[in-house]
Parts: sequence; C-alpha cells; structure tokens
Amino acid sequence: MGRLDFARCALLECVLRERGAVDWIAVGLSVDVPAGTVVPRRVNDTDMAIWCSAAGKLHAWGDRCPHRGMRLSHGFVRGETLSCIYHGWQYGMDGTCSYIPAHPQLEPPKTICARSYACNEQDQMIWVALAPTQAKTPDAEGRRPVRSLEITLPVAKVAEGLGHPMSSLMVLGGVYDLAVALQPSTQHSCVLHAFAGADQERKQVSRHLEKMRAELESADA
Amino acid sequence: MILYDYILSASCYQVRLMAALLGQPLTTRAVNFHPAKEHKSPEMLKLNPKGTLPVLQDGDLVLTESAEILRYLTRDTPDWRGQDEVWLSFAAALNGSIGTARLHDILSYDADIDAVRRAGVQHLRQLEAHLVEQRFDGMIFLTGHTPTIADIACFPTTALAPDGGVSLDVYPSIRLWMRAIRSLPGFIEMPGIHRLHELEAAP
Ligand SMILES: N[C@@H](CCC(=O)N[C@@H](CS)C(=O)NCC(=O)O)C(=O)O
Ligand code: FES
Repeated sequence: MGRLDFARCALLECVLRERGAVDWIAVGLSVDVPAGTVVPRRVNDTDMAIWCSAAGKLHAWGDRCPHRGMRLSHGFVRGETLSCIYHGWQYGMDGTCSYIPAHPQLEPPKTICARSYACNEQDQMIWVALAPTQAKTPDAEGRRPVRSLEITLPVAKVAEGLGHPMSSLMVLGGVYDLAVALQPSTQHSCVLHAFAGADQERKQVSRHLEKMRAELESADA
Repeated sequence: MILYDYILSASCYQVRLMAALLGQPLTTRAVNFHPAKEHKSPEMLKLNPKGTLPVLQDGDLVLTESAEILRYLTRDTPDWRGQDEVWLSFAAALNGSIGTARLHDILSYDADIDAVRRAGVQHLRQLEAHLVEQRFDGMIFLTGHTPTIADIACFPTTALAPDGGVSLDVYPSIRLWMRAIRSLPGFIEMPGIHRLHELEAAP
C-alpha cells in the first residue's frame, strides 16, 4: 500500500470517528458469500474483495492484486486460497502470495501481500473495520438477517430519512422488528443490510424494504 | 440445425448456450454484424426480413426470435420448461435496457444512455427481488429448483451488464444465480462471460 493510501485511511478513520463512530460496517449476509466464493464490496470508497474459503473462513482484502492491480474479486477461491484471475497468483489466509504459476519453483517473498482488513461474522452478517478497533461487533439481539439493498443516496441522507443517528446497527423496530446496518458505499450510494424479528415472514419483510427504499429515494428526488 | 450467429450478441449466445446445455449439435454461421452489417445483406434479409440476429434454420423452418428458438430447442425436454413466459418477456425488456446500453458502449449504437441505464437498474432490482424470494424458498433458479429457458433467456444480457456501464456488484442473489448457471454441466463461455475456473483442476 502506498503512503498516500495510508494517509487517506488515517484521515478517513478520523472523519468516521467524528461522525459518531462506526467501527464495524456490515458488508453483506453470510449466506450471500458462501464457502468458495469471492465478492466485491465498496466500503466508504474503499474497494474490497470479501471471500470465504472452502473451510468457511471469511476474509476482507483490498480489491487489488499486488502483482498488477487486477481486482481480486474477479478471482476465484480454491481451498483456503484466493487466486487472481489475471496471472493466477495465489494468496493464502494471511494475505501473502503463496504461489506464482509462471514460476512454479519460486517461493514468493513474504513482502508480496494483499492488504487485509478486520473481518468478523456475527448473527450471520459479515462485518468489516476499515481501521483497527477494540469495539465489539454489533449484536442483533436474536434478529435474523433478511437481505441487502443498494440505495442510491448518500448514507447520511438515508440515516436522516430513517430518523436515526448513524451507528453500526440502527434498531428501527416496527411490525417487523427491523434493525438495519448501513454500508457507506460511494459518495452517492449506500447499501442497507436488514435484520428482522426471527419469526417474521422474510418475503413480507423484503417487500417492505423495497417500499422503504422507494420512499427514501423519491423523498430525495 | 444452423445458427446465423454473431459472437458478441447476447441473444445469439442464448441459443449457443441452450444447445450446449442440451448437448444438441449446432452448426454456427458467423455473420459479420459489426462493422459489415451483414445481417442487413440481401441474403440475410431474405432469410429474416427484420434483419436481426439470431436466426435459426432447421430444414424448412426459420426462427428469428430468441424466445421462439429456446422453446423450439426444448420442445422435447419438459425439464427445461416452467412458468417461463413472463421471464421471456422480461428478457426482451432487459435486452431493451441493459442490452441497449451495452450496444451503445461497445458498438456505438445510438441510445439515450442515461435513460437505458436507469431502466436497466430498475430491471436488475426486480430480478434481484424475485431471486431473493426464490432463495427464501430454497430455490436458486427463476422458476424452480432446476434451470429452465427462463434462466437461459435472462442470463446473457444480465451477465453482460457491466459492458454497458451497469454494475452487478450490489445484487448478491443475481450473482449467486449467475454462478449456478455457470456451474451447469455443458456450460460454454462467450467474450465477457467466463466459466468458473475453480471447477477445474489446479495448474
Ligand atoms: N428479437 C430479437 C432481438 C435480438 C437482438 O436484439 N438482436 C440484435 C443483435 S444482439 C440485432 O440483430 N440488432 C440489429 C437490428 O436490430 O437492426 C431476439 O431476441 O431474438
Ligand atoms: S495482476 Fe494478479 S496475478 Fe497478475
């Protein structure tokens, strides 16, 4: 990682803390990143590759291959490694490069390493932290995750529209006993990850969330 | 059976993919769609006065709509049929939104690019919402536990959305659905839609 990236991360961390401390950011439901898959996520303008090994271990890495910068989320998972789609460099659990197909005899130097972020699974939701944190991942208090929806509004607008101060997990309650985690994505969009009461009919909740999104987006239009 | 084919056409790929999944032999005749506009040549217009691709010829029979071709290819394989009609129309709508955005971006077609991309996002949201509900019921395909022509009709244009500047990153259920299709035995690629490398032996 370049110096500038590092400075930018530090700055971002300050800004986030001032805004009311969002240490852990939800990036998706565990069922949406099953074992053996990798997905792209944009978290506060940082591109990440979130992947789950064959054994079920989750990782959040910067979405850039240390070789030539290809997006690692275009790659593929084999066993406990993530391979880049471009030249096939393979990365192990600790992010270091373990194999270079063009040089099968070579043991890659440990300095070839993907950027990794803290990543936790709790309540069947995947949480990442952009900077090291002591905070615990939020507790959904028995609710179960329903789905994720992109909203084409900045995260602050959505929090405002929901009438809640921004926090890692916002309990909205209501008939479906909703709790939502907002993932700031770009400057203009965010992703809402929703939990509902464990006995709620998820199709109903999903349709309710669609309506909620439509209302939020049209209120701003 | 002869398919008048263009390698970059999502609609032609529907036909190639369907035949491959069924294990049906298909002879392809490459038509120079771009830049030669060979689909508008006198010979092609005689075959298909609409001047579009794909065109499927089987003996005396000539079919010029991808939906019809999919129905024809699966006429003896009921497993590949389900509640497909609404999805065949949906595939045509996708072709009008995301498909048009793609032709605009890769072949410089005329289009109100912002409008077709916006319509494309609405279509993807509908598709995602449906697949979310399917998954709640333990199903990954559009109409059930196994794929039908509905899936094959909607898959190519959807998978190629990024070519038209429409991201698929924010649709987890669409991504898993596409993955399920790419995992099917007999799956074939087209430029922009690759196979699952992890299914192959390590180098
Ligand atoms: N109705 C056709 C539409 C297919 C389509 O859009 N074909 C494009 C190529 S991908 C085409 O032939 N465009 C030429 C034109 O419309 O003049 C189908 O789905 O079979
Ligand atoms: S860019 Fe990833 S292996 Fe070359």
